[in-house]
Amino acid sequence: MIASIQFRRFKVLRSAGLQLEPFNLIIGPNGSGKTSLIQAILKLHALAGLPVPAAAESAKTPHGPELIFHFTPPHAAVEARLSCVSELVCDHLQVKSPKAAEWETVKAELAGTRVYLFDHYAMAAAAPRANGVELAANGANLAAVLAARRARDPAAYAVWEAEALRLLPDYSRIELRDKPGDAVELALGLREENEIVPADGLSQGTLYLLALLALAYDPAPPSILCIEEVDRGIHPRRLREVRDMLYRLSYPAAYGLSHAPTQVIATTHSPYLLDQFRDHPEEIVIAQKSGRSATFERLIDRPDLDELLREGSLGDMWFAGLLGGVPDEEISAPPAKEGNHRPG
Amino acid sequence: MKLAILSESPADEAALRVLVEGVLGHPFQFLPPAFRSRGWPSVAQVMPAVIRHLHFGTDATGLVVVVDSDDSVVHTAEHDRPEYFHPQCRLCQLRAIFRQTVKRLPPAHGREHLLRCIGVAVPAIEAWYLCGRDDRVRESAWIEGQARGVPPYTRAELKQRVYGTDRPSLPYEIDCALREVARHRPDTRRLEYDFPGFAALAADLRRWRQGN
Repeated sequence: MIASIQFRRFKVLRSAGLQLEPFNLIIGPNGSGKTSLIQAILKLHALAGLPVPAAAESAKTPHGPELIFHFTPPHAAVEARLSCVSELVCDHLQVKSPKAAEWETVKAELAGTRVYLFDHYAMAAAAPRANGVELAANGANLAAVLAARRARDPAAYAVWEAEALRLLPDYSRIELRDKPGDAVELALGLREENEIVPADGLSQGTLYLLALLALAYDPAPPSILCIEEVDRGIHPRRLREVRDMLYRLSYPAAYGLSHAPTQVIATTHSPYLLDQFRDHPEEIVIAQKSGRSATFERLIDRPDLDELLREGSLGDMWFAGLLGGVPDEEISAPPAKEGNHRPG
Repeated sequence: MKLAILSESPADEAALRVLVEGVLGHPFQFLPPAFRSRGWPSVAQVMPAVIRHLHFGTDATGLVVVVDSDDSVVHTAEHDRPEYFHPQCRLCQLRAIFRQTVKRLPPAHGREHLLRCIGVAVPAIEAWYLCGRDDRVRESAWIEGQARGVPPYTRAELKQRVYGTDRPSLPYEIDCALREVARHRPDTRRLEYDFPGFAALAADLRRWRQGN
């Protein structure tokens, strides 16, 4: 797992650092570095799979953006330093590792990184059955992934399906229908009527919930999961279940599972999702934007946290501006033509 | 008897339904939808609107509201004196909100006003679940701990003891809640004795029963 990241001149993260936990919920205004954080991890994931440059070449670190990664024990001595010649070209990786085998282990973990931003239009389309190994970054192959899991382990699939139908009580069954070209399409059967709703007739939130659930019940879960706008399209009353799905990955032992924990890094703009983490403020990271640069702050580090928690919900405190992580608002008189005018 | 419940989670609501039935001694009709609050102080903010909605828009008999006390001042017998109101006690605050809201409402649906049933779980509903299992978990122990400045347990510890983790899934939380309140359902006297915040709720319910 990644223990920390130092950012230098990387997009809005000009001089910032972040210690990562097994579970991390990142909140903050638009343009405060939430996506940049995920992009940094994605860059490391991509470069870690390539051969590390020779030492002499590595020494030529350009004075551009730089990212420094450290890892959790037993790999705390490993450092990965990623240098970029520009924000777009970021392909220079230096690794300090006491033993080559240690970096190989870290590299293997990084290979299991997955980044998601679901696209319900893509998810609603039929997917080739052959693409069912791993859920795609936009969730487009959800039907194929489910079909492959059902074929491989019907009992585990039945557990997943039961949980999906608990979350979606309007439906009584999930169908994976054959489509031309050896493709498969997702459809849900309505509980009250003998009617099947194809994926393109399902709501955005329904598809996102199913995709999240597919991740949470993945028999080979990712080592690091980054997920953007994890609450998107989902009703506030369902956000407890969203939290549960993510915790299932981050804290498998709490769910009676024996697989290795997934490090989760999720972003949100939902105060309601934030409310779900009242008991674990150490899992909340606030992206603070100041002008054209941003930094990260852990909620647990606030000296007045106990007082804040006594006063109200985390979501309300955030919206009110007490936690930071809110957009700058320039208050000025509107131009005469565009302003509201008092009648008469 | 039609009752509405305002609670913080589906798990709390599931437990409350069983406990209310246990005190009433008979099943009641639950009025959907379930009302949810986002914890304190959101419950105090939404309660007047919930009361008005139930009063004018439904034929509900009463509203059941239970909140966690967290670190707030715990209600004591002293607070029950006539005209007494403790501004940091959540039971006092919720009762005041209820009283002020219903007194402004004209009769509707053949009833004068909605019946009140308010309880406070000290410090959290998981303490009620441990009642009878762990003698150290009781409201008086919490109050003594508050006075000493050393709480006898934390909310996280209570969760750990009830669920085996402080990150339970919702279905598991509901299962545990139902298992624990099933012990109290036949006889709630121990829960009332150890947790006056529950006894307050039970007393409200019994007043209803006597009135019907």
